[in-house]
Amino acid sequence: MTIRALWIISQEKGDNVSIRFSRRFSTVEHRAKILAGSSYVAVPEESTILQLLLTELGLSDPDKAYVAVRDDCLHRPRSPALELRVDGPEKGILWPMLVISQGPLILACLPLVDVPPEPRPPLASLLSVSQGLTLLAGLQIFLLGSGSKPDGEGLVSRLAMLPSVLLQVCPLGTPLDVPLLGPPATPTVPTVTGNQKQPAWKTGLHRGRAVVNVALTETVRSMQYGSRSRQDLWDVFGTVSCKCEVEGVLPNVMVTLSLPPNGSPLQDILVHPCVTSLDSSILTASSVDNCDSSAFSGPYKFPFSPPLEPFRLCSYTSQVPVPPILGSYQLREEENQLHVAVTLKLHESVKNSFEYCEARLPFFNRDQMSVVDVKVSYGQLDTSKEKNLLVWALGQKFPKSHEVTMEGKISFSGPTNGPSDPLCTGLTAYIKLYFKVPDMTLSGCSVDQHSVQVYSSAKPRIVTSRELISKDYFIWNSTGAAPVSSGPMMM
Amino acid sequence: MATNWAERISAFSRSPTRFLSGTTAEAFLAELLRELRDDRASYSVKVLLLSPLCEHPTLLCPSDSVGEETTLELMSVFAQCPPKFVGFRCHLLLALTSVLICTSCASGRSRASQDFLDLLLQIIQDPSDLHSDGSLRSLCATACDCLRELEACCPGLLSQRIELLGGLRQQETSRLHQPYAALQTLVLRNAVFQLTQEKGAGAEHLKALLGGITSVAWEADQDSGLMNNKDSAVLSSLILGNMGVVPTLQTGPDCKELRSVLSSLLEESYLLTPLCQAALLHRLTEVVAMVPSIPPAIFRAQLLRLLGTSEVCLLHSTLLMKCAYTDSLFSAEDEAFILKRLVVLSQHPRLTAPEKLFYMDCILHFPENRPIDSGDESLPVLLTPQLASALAPTVLNDSATLLSRFNLLSLVHLEEGEEAEEGQGLEYLYEHLTSLLHIVENGGSREIVVTFFRAVFLFLFYFHHVERYSTGLTEQLCKLYLHHTHLAPHLINLADQTQDKLSESNWAVGLLTALQKAITSLTQLSVKDVKWHLKMLARVAEEGEIPQRNTLSFLSKVITPSFSSLCESGDWRQGNNVLGVCRRLLVHPSLDSLLIPLADILQHLARCYRDTDIQDHARLYYTLLTTLSREKLAGVMMQGTTEGGRQVKKRSLSSCMSEGEELTSLLTIHQTEKAIFRLTEAQSEPRQQSKDVDLDQDEAENCPEEANAALEVYRAQFSDPSFASEVTLKYQLAHTNGHDSRFDHLFSIRLHFGHTDNHYEKLPDISVSCLFRERPSPVVQLRLKPRQPYPTTLHATAIFTTQDGLSWHTAVPDIHIAFEQTFMPLPSPRTWGQDGKLSAFEGLWEEMCTEKGESAISLFCCQLEEAALNALVRKHFLSYLVSDPSQKEELKVLFFLPPQCHILLKIRSKEDAVHFNIATDNWQLLPHIGSYLLTITAAQEDPPS
Repeated sequence: MTIRALWIISQEKGDNVSIRFSRRFSTVEHRAKILAGSSYVAVPEESTILQLLLTELGLSDPDKAYVAVRDDCLHRPRSPALELRVDGPEKGILWPMLVISQGPLILACLPLVDVPPEPRPPLASLLSVSQGLTLLAGLQIFLLGSGSKPDGEGLVSRLAMLPSVLLQVCPLGTPLDVPLLGPPATPTVPTVTGNQKQPAWKTGLHRGRAVVNVALTETVRSMQYGSRSRQDLWDVFGTVSCKCEVEGVLPNVMVTLSLPPNGSPLQDILVHPCVTSLDSSILTASSVDNCDSSAFSGPYKFPFSPPLEPFRLCSYTSQVPVPPILGSYQLREEENQLHVAVTLKLHESVKNSFEYCEARLPFFNRDQMSVVDVKVSYGQLDTSKEKNLLVWALGQKFPKSHEVTMEGKISFSGPTNGPSDPLCTGLTAYIKLYFKVPDMTLSGCSVDQHSVQVYSSAKPRIVTSRELISKDYFIWNSTGAAPVSSGPMMM
Repeated sequence: MATNWAERISAFSRSPTRFLSGTTAEAFLAELLRELRDDRASYSVKVLLLSPLCEHPTLLCPSDSVGEETTLELMSVFAQCPPKFVGFRCHLLLALTSVLICTSCASGRSRASQDFLDLLLQIIQDPSDLHSDGSLRSLCATACDCLRELEACCPGLLSQRIELLGGLRQQETSRLHQPYAALQTLVLRNAVFQLTQEKGAGAEHLKALLGGITSVAWEADQDSGLMNNKDSAVLSSLILGNMGVVPTLQTGPDCKELRSVLSSLLEESYLLTPLCQAALLHRLTEVVAMVPSIPPAIFRAQLLRLLGTSEVCLLHSTLLMKCAYTDSLFSAEDEAFILKRLVVLSQHPRLTAPEKLFYMDCILHFPENRPIDSGDESLPVLLTPQLASALAPTVLNDSATLLSRFNLLSLVHLEEGEEAEEGQGLEYLYEHLTSLLHIVENGGSREIVVTFFRAVFLFLFYFHHVERYSTGLTEQLCKLYLHHTHLAPHLINLADQTQDKLSESNWAVGLLTALQKAITSLTQLSVKDVKWHLKMLARVAEEGEIPQRNTLSFLSKVITPSFSSLCESGDWRQGNNVLGVCRRLLVHPSLDSLLIPLADILQHLARCYRDTDIQDHARLYYTLLTTLSREKLAGVMMQGTTEGGRQVKKRSLSSCMSEGEELTSLLTIHQTEKAIFRLTEAQSEPRQQSKDVDLDQDEAENCPEEANAALEVYRAQFSDPSFASEVTLKYQLAHTNGHDSRFDHLFSIRLHFGHTDNHYEKLPDISVSCLFRERPSPVVQLRLKPRQPYPTTLHATAIFTTQDGLSWHTAVPDIHIAFEQTFMPLPSPRTWGQDGKLSAFEGLWEEMCTEKGESAISLFCCQLEEAALNALVRKHFLSYLVSDPSQKEELKVLFFLPPQCHILLKIRSKEDAVHFNIATDNWQLLPHIGSYLLTITAAQEDPPS
């Protein structure tokens, strides 16, 4: 349940790759040597590790089209636990090298294999694997913030903090916690807390007015093909985020999610570890089961004792009968001209009040657009700087008819240097929708302000909110081949 | 200075060996410790200085004794550090723990480790208003972590302290209860394990352990250290599923004490961070598995919370529980639920890609209550195609996820493929491949290309027998190739691997035949494509079953000026590509029918190709083809071919030439797997100065009496920079023990040396004409030219030839040069007698005693009987003695070390000990002298009986 070493690597667009931080845990290495016996492979020096990792991740020699050790079809890197083949006098295989990468950072650690090394044990038998993943993910968020925007200076200062952070969260190779995001809480003044123990995940105590903030966000994804042979797909998942400022060492709070009378049950519910207990009925509904209409459909009660920082109380998926916006997209190619016809229809059950709504039509892998002779029934049309993307801003509302259309011709000439995407070539093309609707959910799920209970002396202020946003919302051109297999599979 | 340290420490951690090659571990350690003791250094720098000790303690403390000394030093630094520097004190505890564990001082339970243990226990029990200051709490938490690490590496170390730890945990209301709980759990687990290993241990022992009844001090318990078991069982996880057997402790039903400890730990587990909670649950799972009288149901209250969690490590610990207890905690219904949950988690939009991949792996190794077999990757029985369909790959997946899902779905539909050829799942997978192929066709990135070929391989691996798909795939790949010829290496790799791994299938040959057909029926060619076509055809020509007529007509087309400008271009690489195809055709089984057209092509190349090298090779092939019999030709071309159908691809520069991979076997140098021979020090008489100084007649009688004058004469010799600058060491070159008759007779051996540091000048290569196993070993002389006469290690490699004419490269085991091997007698002028040397000795001694510059003096004492001292002098010092050997009261010894260092010893027997007064003109040699004297005197103290 420990890791032997940890590395943090930064890469800027393939070149200039370097190890920015590394830590070896010598006492764990000592155990690794005893445990592995004759099959022990020492951890090589930084430069070797870097080279081996890049090869395994397919990032080495970026300018060569085919490199045998990197691209062999027999070899399937078993992410997230890679194997590194160490050559030279101490040859052998380092396994399982856990790697996660996001933006400019690659984080890697090598867990201790505390079961007999031969034959190779399954990953599932090593608790250190899931612990290592948790630690890496925590470090990643600490270094990059929750967004993946690379921020050079911020990164440098965060990296400089790592030694003291690791002293707290992983002093001797055993991960104890993930790094705190904010500044460390000032040590609390001693209080007579009675017998109640302070949770280890709670860094201090809140003083002052009690405020509970519960935000429900639903995300909808969709793949629409406009074809008889292919079923359109969409799915919805929701997240309840909380920030609770409540006094006490271990205060009790209860949040209740409820559905409208005939709403379909929330599925695949995952809860934050601060939830104290769960009713078994809450966990029964699952998206991989056949839907059972008699299933438990709420109210869903989540009793918990909140940590100080904002956290994700629970998440779920839901099956809704229709997508919020149904689209159709047709392209016809004629003499270097493209005829475009688009219809977008807002479903009547969806609140017609958007924070934003925008459709993007990329025309990649062809010349740049020269003449755009396209009319829209509603909203505003723009062309991107690189002249290979149409942006159709629909604003805050659909018209009364709940339907908008676009029609016209586009001609292309002259090369373009814009982005490209192999999923968008010729008539294989898509519209991607970006929208956000405040104060609504597709599943109908809601958190009533009055259903939030806080068991404490002071009366808290309770704020609840909900919203719907889109992600990976694709409408494929129905006259081209969408690069997706048919069949009843979900995304 | 501060920035300097930051740079040096980071250079050390980047590459410790390179860093230490510029200094020595001892010197670096000494520097670190000096700086740590320095009051002027800032504590932020000091924290930095500890990191080499934390990360590489064994490099800096190569022996237990150094570890022990370092520990004592660090402990004194700790004692002197003001309490307010908590961060530094915490790091210091970590460094101490690392040094003690890694040097085996802790497992040997040395004095220092015991002191450190007392210190840690004192910190965690310190009642001095712990609660007033949060910073003290973090020191206490670190101390707990150190104790836990010590217990983890020396199991059983704290087994007598369970009650104490339990008490501390229960009283604690601050967040400190977490480190206490982690420590208590581990100690408990190790103690119970210890009991399972003891014969006759039972309920009473367990009770005593938990109640802390044994008040026996730790010292008395030395023998029960679990690591004395020698094996690593106690360090291993006990939860291995059906692979392992858990040792058990028979206690009878009465286990109240243990039960209450477990309940209290479980009750409060919610208060721990998920990572610590998971570790605690895992340890308790092990404890309950070892004590059968505690029912696993003790965990039941936690299960729902754990199964609903979003934390990967908590769910994982639950899976491990399932693995340990199977149906004694989880019903068949629970099992179905958990599996479904895993499928959900493997694609839950709220989880990260690595987590989902991990869960998918858990499905492939699902701990079933009733496992059917324990194969590598087998699907749980309950995973139906319908359930698995949630994990179908899509083109929007990242590569790793896509391939993982593809593999899993292939396994699910494997049976389907066998039973009926009309499986919907299989259809889906094939369509998915087609979608990927379209993306590749549309110019997908390199990553997508690689992913696609991996997916194709997976598909063929599972479904190559389903002809409908495998032939379809061949067609699609041919089309793909014609549009994207640069994919040739991928296709060749695919053909190679499918042929290699799917020996029962002929798919690869089918693909190659189709590719041959597609290429040879082309009517128009671009120069760029020709290169790939030729590579492809060369691969096709390796297949004996594939007729090569079309390939030949393609070749003759390519070299025809009217069709392409290949011959006029005179491109050497392209020419080699053509020759590569020809060369394979020369050994093709159907050569007889190819003879005339092939000869035509070769002749044409020999005449018309505008590159002399290509012409020459073509002519050689032509001559071979037209003059040799089939058998001889095959013999020549196949020479050196490695066994097996297709030769192992050895990429080397020379194989770029069309002599190709087979002939190159003779031309390339092979690598031996193991060392073939080694160098061992030859027993020799005391070393002479290597460069003889000409006897100078004028000075023959001149032997200055006066010390300074003697020194002057002595030093004048060094005006010649090569004077006495080398140490010559004799080594025997001998076979290692491994017996491989190929290497019995070796010729033309050339030894090449490399340094591990830069204390010595580069060594020239050494040639040895032959080495026969049955003959006496040849002696080689290493002429070492020190810059600094430190001990060192030389890397060595050698190239040699065996009787069959092959050349080999081999690694020779490292050669360790000890400090004393660099000693030489004083290189005084030849005319000098003993007196002259003595004068020089006195002169040097006087200078060094001033301790100016690099000079230093020191004293080494030890207890030696007179006889032992005499023996020591005879054995080690005789040739370096400058005083009269009969003068026993003070012996004077002088070691000369090139390039120009001296170590002078005055040895006197005092009543209590023998004193070695040491003087040197290079203080950096002192640690080496110390350890040298320690070694030789220790050997003398206890002579072998």
